[in-house]
Amino acid sequence: MEQVVNGILVVNTETIPGKMITETLGVVSGSTVRAKHLGKDIFAGLKNIVGGELAQYTELLQESRQEAVGRMVADAMSIGATAVVNVRFATSAITAGAAELFAYGTAVKYE
Amino acid sequence: MAEFAILGILGIFALPFLLLTLFWAIYGIAMPLMFIWGMLTSGRNLDKMIEETNARERSTRATLGRDPLSTVDRWMVRSDVTNSGLIYASGVFGPSYWQLMIAWVNNLTGGSVTVFQKVISAGRAEVMQRLRENAIEAGWDDVVNVRIDTADMTPQSSQRGRIRGVEVFAYGTGIKYS
Repeated sequence: MEQVVNGILVVNTETIPGKMITETLGVVSGSTVRAKHLGKDIFAGLKNIVGGELAQYTELLQESRQEAVGRMVADAMSIGATAVVNVRFATSAITAGAAELFAYGTAVKYE
Repeated sequence: MAEFAILGILGIFALPFLLLTLFWAIYGIAMPLMFIWGMLTSGRNLDKMIEETNARERSTRATLGRDPLSTVDRWMVRSDVTNSGLIYASGVFGPSYWQLMIAWVNNLTGGSVTVFQKVISAGRAEVMQRLRENAIEAGWDDVVNVRIDTADMTPQSSQRGRIRGVEVFAYGTGIKYS
């Protein structure tokens, strides 16, 4: 179980199941823009003609999301939180082959 | 000796352009072939994908006896929750160029654009199944507060080389009972 990222508990529910939130510390966020190299873009473009899942972009977004969550957790750590609750995600495609991933949530202390 | 040096420098400058030309030449040949290939296979591949996802979903439901995912905001009223954490799954799915053409014709006549609906719902079912599998793999008993997002991967700004696809993203909180 990888529920604890760098010692910070991350959930997308308003409360932490089975725990008591004692203090809220405000909004924390993390974002990232990543792109794949040209070769993978070309492969994805060719795959697009035939249709189906574009595995290259799935992988790209998966990596980016991990990075965005990692940055959000680093932000939470820097203000001394022990958990991030109510996490939300937003995605936007900036140009072909690059995506911006944004993760945000509320930093809290729990016991 | 000097001639070779000049040729070498010219070659270095010309190389990217040569490669680009080669790429477009290959693309020009490959694209119609792949279009026809997509025309012949995309419908069947989509049906196969839907069938495969359904089979996996059925087996998950059969082993657990229920669906682990739920969209309720408040976690189940149980006092024996020991652990919780964020889990997510995603996938990028696109229609084939042939399906885009069918959709264009559908658009002219109006009504429902069945092709797109089929592609996106197949992608969504696949991603939800991935979330179930991730949850089981990570050892969670239940996944609550599941949200499903769909993001257009086609940027409006670029005309050339755009990817026609949607990203389906599902996330939720895994909980563990004692």
